[in-house]
Amino acid sequence: MATSNMKLLCSVLNKMRIDHITTRSINSPPRFRPPYWYLPKERVMSDEMLTQENKDFLEEVKQDKLNLQNTLESPLIKSETQETLQWTPGTRRTGLIARKIGNYPLWSKDGKKFQTTLLQVVDNHVIKYIPPEEFKPMKTSKVVWKEKRKLGCLLVGSETIDPSTVTKEYCGLFNTVGMLPKRHLCRFMVSPQASLPTGTPLFATHFRVGDYVDVRAKTMDRGFQGVMKRWGFKGMPASHGVTKTHRRPGNIGAGGEKARVWPGTKMPGHMGNRWRTLRGVKILRINTKHNILWMLGVAIPGETGAMCYLFDTVLPLKKLKTPPPFPTHPPADDLPLEYYDDSIHLFEEPTITFEES
Amino acid sequence: MSLVIRKSTVEILCAAKWIFRRDCRLLSTLPEKTEIVVDEKERIPGRKTRSYNPILENRHVYPEFLPDPNPNWRNSLREKMERADMLKRRSQIDIPEFYVGSILAVTISDPHAQGKTNRFVGICIERKGCGLRAEFTLRNVVDHQGIEVRYELYDPTIQSIQVLRLEKRLDDKLLYLRDALPEYCTFPLDMDPEILPEGTPVPINPVQVKLKPRPWLERWERQELKGVSNIEEHLKEKDRVRRELRKTPWEKYDLMKNYRKTIPAEEQSEIWNEVYNQLQQMRVSRKKMSRKRTVTTPKTQLA
Amino acid sequence: MFRSLINKLIPVQSCGFHTTSCLNEVQLLTRLRVVDNSEIGKRAMAEGKPPKVICVYNKKRVGYIGDRVLVAIKGQKKKGILVGLKQTQKVKVPKFDSNNVVLIDDNGTPLGTRIHVPIPTILRTILKEKTHAKGADYTKLLGIATRFV
Repeated sequence: MATSNMKLLCSVLNKMRIDHITTRSINSPPRFRPPYWYLPKERVMSDEMLTQENKDFLEEVKQDKLNLQNTLESPLIKSETQETLQWTPGTRRTGLIARKIGNYPLWSKDGKKFQTTLLQVVDNHVIKYIPPEEFKPMKTSKVVWKEKRKLGCLLVGSETIDPSTVTKEYCGLFNTVGMLPKRHLCRFMVSPQASLPTGTPLFATHFRVGDYVDVRAKTMDRGFQGVMKRWGFKGMPASHGVTKTHRRPGNIGAGGEKARVWPGTKMPGHMGNRWRTLRGVKILRINTKHNILWMLGVAIPGETGAMCYLFDTVLPLKKLKTPPPFPTHPPADDLPLEYYDDSIHLFEEPTITFEES
Repeated sequence: MSLVIRKSTVEILCAAKWIFRRDCRLLSTLPEKTEIVVDEKERIPGRKTRSYNPILENRHVYPEFLPDPNPNWRNSLREKMERADMLKRRSQIDIPEFYVGSILAVTISDPHAQGKTNRFVGICIERKGCGLRAEFTLRNVVDHQGIEVRYELYDPTIQSIQVLRLEKRLDDKLLYLRDALPEYCTFPLDMDPEILPEGTPVPINPVQVKLKPRPWLERWERQELKGVSNIEEHLKEKDRVRRELRKTPWEKYDLMKNYRKTIPAEEQSEIWNEVYNQLQQMRVSRKKMSRKRTVTTPKTQLA
Repeated sequence: MFRSLINKLIPVQSCGFHTTSCLNEVQLLTRLRVVDNSEIGKRAMAEGKPPKVICVYNKKRVGYIGDRVLVAIKGQKKKGILVGLKQTQKVKVPKFDSNNVVLIDDNGTPLGTRIHVPIPTILRTILKEKTHAKGADYTKLLGIATRFV
């Protein structure tokens, strides 16, 4: 009796169909797959109770590694094949990682003042080149109708740091290519002919004076801000019987059909600390010794000391017209200390005088 | 903090010296050397425990070489580049030592003017900014019309800066001259330069100006100005009470605030060691040049 | 005693209007100073009834140096050119202690024959740019100036 009942129950249960289950299958691919070099970098520092001798030994090893790194020659000097590569307007060169170090004025030859931002290119090295066939970024479900232009991926790092201060995984990323770990790592999509071998140093002379670049950086973090600061709303009067609504947004929508908050309504929230690109910034002056670029304008995002990424501009009218150093400027000792734009007045030149017309 | 105190004491001493010397000269024609000896004797007991560093005195002569103390804007490399550019500009033009209260004549090349040059004479009422952004403001009353012009110190269109009268006033900013009677800032445009004998300290002019009746541009009574004589005449009881309420006597004891406002002495000495030699060389070469010029000018007059 | 004084003062401190120095902009109803020797201007200034701005002929409605304004002076409407401003100016451009105006007629001819205060040199360029071949000729104003700064 009991077994027949069980069978009945089983058959009933078998016939039951459950639709619309939203379960997260283990095998479904994740929506976002970060690139493999996104590894935890910060390490919890702990006192390892080392003896002084051991500490000294570690220090010695670090110094040796650093010296080895410094004596590393640019692979561009050795290989003579670079001359054969030709720049065409369609090719995409690598970019640079720079640090914003402040701003000060320059004067033009007709006595006008320009505010400039100084960007320092600190210790940039090519870490790795991944050719387009091997480079598989995120998987998307979108159907690709048109075959895209194939671009390789060039990893560039800046600012060598002490290997003992970062995690093993992050360090291993650099160890596999024989470099010391870098503080900042950035991916640049480049054309295959613009690829660079590992360990190539990049300098400020990668760009020329008078070129236009795009600068990508994180804006200043302003925290949670109200609507007046974040979106420039006018607020409400300070007096005339206004109570408790001096800096508030007021109405945020209409009634009837639209009786809801429409997407994209400007509201209070977190302001700043997001990636923004300033396009078409002109280079006015380059210092080759300290690798400093003087950029026109003060609108480069971020505070003093923030990192930013420089690219050749994509603006159609400001794009490169003459061939730039391709794939990059090789290290040279006999460069002039400073390059100036034609419009810029040099400080060591005599005082500007105007001619009677 | 101690720097500030020392500065103020030194200023007071200087003022006292100046008055004292004036009186002396009226009475006798003693040579100046004896006075200097007396001064030094006076100074030594009054000095603070911190050792006296002559190189730090440059901060009054070249204040724009010190960077902005705001830590958010500091960067040693940028400051270095800026100083190098400033020295390059200084090698082209003689930017003399001047203070707020000195009378200057500035010649600029002006594309709008008729002869493409423009000259303005006035008293320096404000000096601000650091590095290449340093600027100063000149004020004068021309044809009974008060005029102020702001100049940048390192602007390449400035042809020359001439100090007509080198002196200091009792305050750091003379913005109250805007509300003062016009005779206190009226200077003829063809003023002759007054040459101080070499080696004398910069005199402090203890003149106290008279303000016009209210309304004023600012509440001068709250700023503890030393160079204004008749401020009490124009005040009402209400203003006096509110001045008392708004006073911040504790601020001079706020060590952190003073520290944040100033560049520490160690950093300053680093900066001065970097630029001092070049500045000194420029000074010496300029002096030689000017001596040559003074020798040659009478000859031309004779011819 | 002191506490009561403070209490009395508190409503005064929190009163609504601002007491800081304003931007000294030349806008509607700003009082100007006539600096030429035209008859109407001299009399208006002597009577203590300086002209008021009733229109600034530019898009911003704030008068800058060299802008044309319409002023109400002694019950009449006259045009004038701003030749000196109180507000903070650019580097190397003089800032004056009063807002100065020179009265002109519709053709740009000044009503007076002499300007008795200095004129900024930048006006020479500004007025030349504003003058068109067939319109009013504002550069006549520069001819009656006595001194440039």
